[in-house]
Amino acid sequence: MTDVELYHNDYENKWCPGCGNFGILEAMKDALAGLDIPPSKALIVSGIGQAGKTPHFLKCNFFHGLHGRALPVATGAKMANNDMTVLVNTGDGDCYGEGGNHFLAAVRRNVDITALVHNNKVYGLTKGQASPTSDMGMTTKVQGKGVILSPFDGPSVALSLGAGFVARGFAGRMDHLSGLIQAAIRYSGFALIDIFQPCVSFNRRNTWQSYNESVYELTEENHDPADLDAAFKLCRQGDEKIPIGIFYQKETVSFSDRIEVLREGPLVSRTFAPARVQNLLNTY
Amino acid sequence: MSIDITVTVGGAAGQGLQTVGDLLARVCHRAGLYLMAINDFESRIRGGNNFFQIRISDAPVNAPRQPVDLLVALDRRSIREHRPRLSDRGLIMADAGSSNKGEKGEMEGVFTLPIRDLAKEAGGAITANTVAAGACLAILGAPWDLVRETVEDFFSGKSRKVIDQNIAAAEKGHEAGRSVKFQGAFQWPDGRERKGRLLTGADAAALGALAADCRIAAFYPMSPATPILVSLASHIDRFPLVLEQAEDEIAAVNMTMGAAFAGVRAFTATSGGGFALMTEGLGLAGITETPIVIVNAQRPGPATGLPTRTGQADLPFCIHSPQDDSPRFILAPGTVEDVFNTMVRAFDLAWKYQAPAIVLVDQYLCDSMFIALGEMTVPESIPIYTITDADMPDPSAYQRYAFTESGISPMALPCAGQALVKVCGNEHRVDGHITEDATLRRRMVEKRQSKIPAMRGEMRPPSAHHPDAETLLVGWGSTIGPLREAVDMLRSDGMDAGCAHFTDLWPFPAEAAERVLKKAGRRIMVEGNATAQLGALIREQTGIVADGTVLKYDGRPFFPREIADAVLEQTR
Repeated sequence: MTDVELYHNDYENKWCPGCGNFGILEAMKDALAGLDIPPSKALIVSGIGQAGKTPHFLKCNFFHGLHGRALPVATGAKMANNDMTVLVNTGDGDCYGEGGNHFLAAVRRNVDITALVHNNKVYGLTKGQASPTSDMGMTTKVQGKGVILSPFDGPSVALSLGAGFVARGFAGRMDHLSGLIQAAIRYSGFALIDIFQPCVSFNRRNTWQSYNESVYELTEENHDPADLDAAFKLCRQGDEKIPIGIFYQKETVSFSDRIEVLREGPLVSRTFAPARVQNLLNTY
Repeated sequence: MSIDITVTVGGAAGQGLQTVGDLLARVCHRAGLYLMAINDFESRIRGGNNFFQIRISDAPVNAPRQPVDLLVALDRRSIREHRPRLSDRGLIMADAGSSNKGEKGEMEGVFTLPIRDLAKEAGGAITANTVAAGACLAILGAPWDLVRETVEDFFSGKSRKVIDQNIAAAEKGHEAGRSVKFQGAFQWPDGRERKGRLLTGADAAALGALAADCRIAAFYPMSPATPILVSLASHIDRFPLVLEQAEDEIAAVNMTMGAAFAGVRAFTATSGGGFALMTEGLGLAGITETPIVIVNAQRPGPATGLPTRTGQADLPFCIHSPQDDSPRFILAPGTVEDVFNTMVRAFDLAWKYQAPAIVLVDQYLCDSMFIALGEMTVPESIPIYTITDADMPDPSAYQRYAFTESGISPMALPCAGQALVKVCGNEHRVDGHITEDATLRRRMVEKRQSKIPAMRGEMRPPSAHHPDAETLLVGWGSTIGPLREAVDMLRSDGMDAGCAHFTDLWPFPAEAAERVLKKAGRRIMVEGNATAQLGALIREQTGIVADGTVLKYDGRPFFPREIADAVLEQTR
């Protein structure tokens, strides 16, 4: 096992004290260490929002891109070098709002990446507007009379698109979350973990206290992750009892494995064959 | 030039004009003739009026002509549409089956052949295109064995039955066509010595990408860029190549960036509207210094504009988008050879300078067929512009954005060694982490901008035809063929005319441009847009103000005669 200390870096953390993101960050380090993936072997791609800053706070290779666009960047990188372990840090606004189309396509494409959606049900970086996952009725400075849109549920959308790995985590259960991340990285295909995370600055509804009172862990006894109908039901349980764990898992053929040329090795390590191009050119 | 014949094949979308056109072009190419052909079509899959127009010659031709010598009308509407363009020696051939209704006098002087009936005899109505091609070639005087060989070759991927049916169809057409007297018929060369390569601009772009060692293309379908990807897709089994149809253009450009970041040469292709969506990504490539290539196959805009037609109106858009400044290359090749070689150069420049490169083509260039006589050079090897741990004294101290004299920081690849590669679209420190420090921000802007003088040094001067002429026509991109022919026309009309053509547009080669342009007494901008966009750029960069303009923005390609006539009109 790799020493978790290896992932620490000295770049100043810019999250608010008490932010749920810290739990996710520590769980990521723990998971990478547990799987023996050193910083030099991990690529983390992120978008914009507080979640998008995550890769700055641990040692890794990273590409911190545009709002909503982390998944396409991760897809391109994985196409180029499918030997890399690729994780994506994204938020509820980043993944389900600005990047919604990319999210739908990433599930269908089944690229072998682990998507960690830091879901705090509010826009933190822009100071507290509603996000796609905000509860109806939540008031903000912009949504003064309360949110009137129904919330977007990433896990059930992913399930409906045929996702092979869908889980929900909670930033307050670090060890449990580390286990989920490890399972997601081991999974060959697109793995979604929607992680509930309190925003201590802007979300007064979904708090540490409310989550601590309502989350419960799924076990072999209370859930079968092969049961798709049961997985859908878990997505829709109310706020009183929030299940965390792997909602659904099935074996799939990942994007890379669907493409013959990628089975012969990563594109990045192939050699240029000018004679082949010349021969093709000569057919014109 | 003793042969200069223009054949137009008109019909509705869905009638298979493309097959007739491809066959005509291949027969001419096989015979050792020169040709160029345009595709003019509407944005619809069935109906309407489309045409394929081929100009055949015994000397190189690089522009279309307006007068039609032989019109092959697969429907009645084509007769109405194209009869006004018929030359003095012009002939119209139509299907006898389409002659029993329509306006009075419409069929006057139209030679009819029972194309559909012959197709049925040959094995099916579906071979009507081949019958028409056979008839058309016979009217032009093409020998049967040449036509038969080409048909056999053209359908070689199909079953024996399909090949035989089409040979039978071509033969029936050819027999019928032989009875038609056409003043433009000519003696076909006996040899079978092909002159150059027959390809479209789209083919050339796809081949150029392969010659540049491109291994990933991510795209969202959009006319007129789609044929580039279709052409590339036809070669996919021969190369380590992944083509991915993205969910939108935003994803396409971001996938391209992810691939390049991970060390694979990648490009995307789109048109103006898709490029508009990509501009956010273009900015990310700028600030992250990620080498990507974007082909913008222009069509008239804004918004949907004229989806299947041509234009050259995205130049300032490509120079200035998105927000703020960032270096990029903009190259607008004029010929198919130039498209191929420019793609190779675009990848090389993008990787050498870690900056995006935009290749501007257009519908005319992408969809038209040309004979390429010039060099199309496949590089023997691809320069490696990235570094590995072995090149670093201490890989753990690697900094992606280290300050250097050239402004170019050594680029390592993620997960390739101990060096951690950190890339960020926020303003960043040398190690790739976010910064808001004022001094660092200033230095990073200056670092990126400092690449520009060397980038400009890579830019080639405009090419010139009769560079010392009193009147200089000035253009860019796909108009080089029409420009040069217009110059030849003007000179034979007695005018001291020449032309200057820009492929390399950004960073603008101002000094070279000034040298070429200031010699002329009169400069006339010839551009496929409404405002003389290159003219404005030249004025901005050199202070030289053009003396006149010939502008076309109706979505149709330039014809040499119309350029020459407009110039004569202005200089009279």
